[in-house]
Amino acid sequence: MTVQVLIDRLVFRRLYPLAIEICRYLKIPEFQGVSRVLKHWACFKVQQKEEPDDVIACAINQKLGDTASISYSEIAARAYECGRTELAIKLLEFEPRSGEQVPLLLKMKRSQLALSKAIESGDTDLVYTVVTYLKNEMNRGDFFMTLRNQPVALSLYRQFCKHQEQNTLKDLFNQDDDHQELGNFYVRASYGEGSVEARMAALQNAVDEFNKAKNEFSAKATEEQMKLLRWQRRFQEEFDKPYLDCSLHETVHSLLLDSKHKQAEQLYKDFRIPDKRFWWLKISALAEKEDWEELEKFSKSKKSPIGYLPFVEICVKHHNKYEAKKYVTKVTLEQKVKAHLAVGDLEQAVEAAIERRSESELNLVLSRCTPTTDRALLDKINSARAGALKK
Amino acid sequence: MTRISGAWSSHDTVVLSVKMAAHLSYGRVNLNILREAARKELREFLDKCAGSKAIVWDEYLTGPFGLIAQYSLLKEHEVEKMFTLKAGRLPAADVKNIIFFVRPRLELMDIIAENVIGEDRQRSQRDFHILFVPRRSLLCEQRLEEQGVLGSFINIEEYILDLIPYDGDLLSMESESAFRECYLENDQTSLYHTAKGLMTLQALYGTIPQIFGKGECARHVANMMLRMKREFAGSQNQILPVFDSLLLLDRNVDLLTPLATQLTYEGLIDEVYSITNGYVKLPPEKFTQKKQGEGGKDLPTEPKKLQLNSAEELYAEIRDKNFNAVGSVLSKKAKIISAAFEERHNAKTVGEIKQFVSQLPHMQAARSSLANHTSIAELIKDITTSESFFDNLTVEQEFMTGVDTDKVNSYIEDCIAQQDPLIKILRLVCMQSVCNNGLKQKVLDYYKREILQTYGYEHLLTLSNLEKAGLLKPQTSTRNNYPTIRKTLKLWMEDINEQNPNDISYVYSGYAPLSVRLAQLLVRPGWRSIEEVLKMLPGPHFEERQQLPSGLHKKRQQGENRTTLVFFLGGVTYAEIAALRFLSQMEDGGTEYVIATTKLINGTCWIKSLMDKLEAPPF
Repeated sequence: MTVQVLIDRLVFRRLYPLAIEICRYLKIPEFQGVSRVLKHWACFKVQQKEEPDDVIACAINQKLGDTASISYSEIAARAYECGRTELAIKLLEFEPRSGEQVPLLLKMKRSQLALSKAIESGDTDLVYTVVTYLKNEMNRGDFFMTLRNQPVALSLYRQFCKHQEQNTLKDLFNQDDDHQELGNFYVRASYGEGSVEARMAALQNAVDEFNKAKNEFSAKATEEQMKLLRWQRRFQEEFDKPYLDCSLHETVHSLLLDSKHKQAEQLYKDFRIPDKRFWWLKISALAEKEDWEELEKFSKSKKSPIGYLPFVEICVKHHNKYEAKKYVTKVTLEQKVKAHLAVGDLEQAVEAAIERRSESELNLVLSRCTPTTDRALLDKINSARAGALKK
Repeated sequence: MTRISGAWSSHDTVVLSVKMAAHLSYGRVNLNILREAARKELREFLDKCAGSKAIVWDEYLTGPFGLIAQYSLLKEHEVEKMFTLKAGRLPAADVKNIIFFVRPRLELMDIIAENVIGEDRQRSQRDFHILFVPRRSLLCEQRLEEQGVLGSFINIEEYILDLIPYDGDLLSMESESAFRECYLENDQTSLYHTAKGLMTLQALYGTIPQIFGKGECARHVANMMLRMKREFAGSQNQILPVFDSLLLLDRNVDLLTPLATQLTYEGLIDEVYSITNGYVKLPPEKFTQKKQGEGGKDLPTEPKKLQLNSAEELYAEIRDKNFNAVGSVLSKKAKIISAAFEERHNAKTVGEIKQFVSQLPHMQAARSSLANHTSIAELIKDITTSESFFDNLTVEQEFMTGVDTDKVNSYIEDCIAQQDPLIKILRLVCMQSVCNNGLKQKVLDYYKREILQTYGYEHLLTLSNLEKAGLLKPQTSTRNNYPTIRKTLKLWMEDINEQNPNDISYVYSGYAPLSVRLAQLLVRPGWRSIEEVLKMLPGPHFEERQQLPSGLHKKRQQGENRTTLVFFLGGVTYAEIAALRFLSQMEDGGTEYVIATTKLINGTCWIKSLMDKLEAPPF
């Protein structure tokens, strides 16, 4: 007779204390010895109908303590099998491994508790499992209600819906009166639509939701987008070119490239594009199509809100130094040095920098000098720098 | 699947077989142990699927896996082919086993199901297995069951790869969406993995006796760690603890640092070229060997790929320096290497010649390393000396010092007008918002409108995300605490010395990363001295102690440093890593740091992870 068999027989006869003593004496490893006996004892104990749940649970916990190799969930399962659900739940409290706790709680139809325990554990996979179970077990209303009370579960379910069941997402948000999220939902949905009308419909829904959410900015921005789409559709039909889904900026840019100045101006006014930005837009478009005449006309139309250095630079960017030089005179004093440098007028730049008595600008000029720069010029710069440093 | 049990001890023999992993052992903590444990697990799984095999990869995993095992290890275990996970049918391959290496994501389960269903049972009799990384998922297995394929798999296991060693003092989970999930979507899955990763770490390196933290996520991770410890109650960890303390920090405690342009050598390389899994891809032009008599040869078009870690001596020396200090190091190095090569003229005896020749490989490696970094430094310099870089930096520093953070900034306006890259704009406006504790409604609306009109309405959701994450939000009634925080924690230091710094602020040429400052102050004089400031930062701060079995308390020698593991929840930048390394090297700093994070980030990829791309089908 092996030791194992001996223990088994003692356990079978419920001679637990004796079995434990023998295990300890023979120094059998916990898992095979004391723990196993205790587990059998506990399973037996839960069947004792006379004693109330509290007492049994306490007694078991006292004897077992926090011994790792004992699965409280196994004992709880046994209690459940005997119909003692409450006792099972009490015992499960002692089970530290949520991976064991939760499935059993679900089996015992204690889904709310299962959900709480899953969330407590931080194991989001476990939470998902409970949520999926609940979804199948409950009717929709109750299901959503349950989620509402558990924000963590709700967030995870939202995540799940986002990737798997988009329509449920909408219902969820509706349930919670989450108008901000509904607005976002419609915005997203609009990009899935194939026709302009459908897009507009979705966007209108978004506007309504944003207004309910008191999100003025998003509501207005969406209305503007709808307005833009209408303009773009018109332009597309009129000029037979793609405009839809460009940004406002790109739309105006496109129009200007095609010399549709009137339409560009219309958008400028209708969308209240800030002057500075419109000017940047216009000069870059005009330079891109090398319409230097129009650019010059524009520069004279009124005082430039962005100054005249951008004109210089945009001409240089498009390889036209001749045009660029036209604007150098109009540049403010502070930007004179930069302007001269941009068109490659090193001498003028030096003069301007000296006049300005600015060390940083002299350094800037110096940084643009190459090995081929005229010696005399270099000397001039260096002596000016020395002079500036002395101050 | 056997979990990494507590039976490992740091005295176990570690096979430093692969040169590429040598750099993991240089630090105070031998991270090679972690890597070897991971390799062992992988080998065991591969052997479980006996016979020839092909691996079907979730593409996302290939990068991080490369840091654990190269193809050579897989080949040793009969892996003959490797494919990328794709919809449709599996490619033909004459192997006995097909193993799917995947993350537990539902979309991937659908693809796997398609692959399995499409398998022609007439033509091939391949066995299917799945390895979930980093862990199994009931949800995923349910999906496979719904698709009717769950029974087709022989082995379904999990490969617990949470923390991957990137360098001797650096661990990362490379969890791209951790910040977004935690702070935007209220999904704390990555925090669960973090806690698990820390438990694995403790199993190998001993229970960490002290846990400090700041932030909601930090609190959550600590709670889970303590809870998980209870789950293992009874199996005491007998390893002498290597780490004295753990510091958990939420990224949202310091939203400012990742937005700023990093100014260390490594930081700039990442900002400009993006370092991924320890590699960087660079434009090839500067790296061609100019051979004699080969003028006019075609330049290579493939980008030059370089590995960057501390195994490269020169790199280890310059990576954490402020970029302005790198030039002088390189020129000094050039002189030393030149002189070393000149020594050949002095070698007269056979013995001396022999010695010189034995040094040659090392010298040649050093020269090649120098050439590479000189080229990289030139590339970076072209950018840092540009006007746009200077202007951008100037505005960043204005915001950081609290100048005009409440008005619309004209530089930002001009950048938008000239259609500079959107991410550049977002970084700047978010920085302004963070430094002002939110923007006035008028200013915020103005910026948002400018952005939508210029870059497109499709960015509306991105703006909403940035607001939710606290990066670009309206001012609430609470006052702007940032100036107080800045002054109390000395975040802005004038007169920094870039060449020989004496403070961590050198990494941003004047700005000390708030996160690292908190770590610094925790050691000395302790957080009690900054109680008020801590309250201004989001989330609770706390301290926990974990019981060690008696007899395992470390007896520290006089003057011996403590080892602290700093864990950034939501991402960490190379500049912050440099700052912590700086603290480790300080005389009587008292502590050496090992850094861990959910992801290595820079401002660009960080903001990108919060963007929602909306594209319309063509009309």
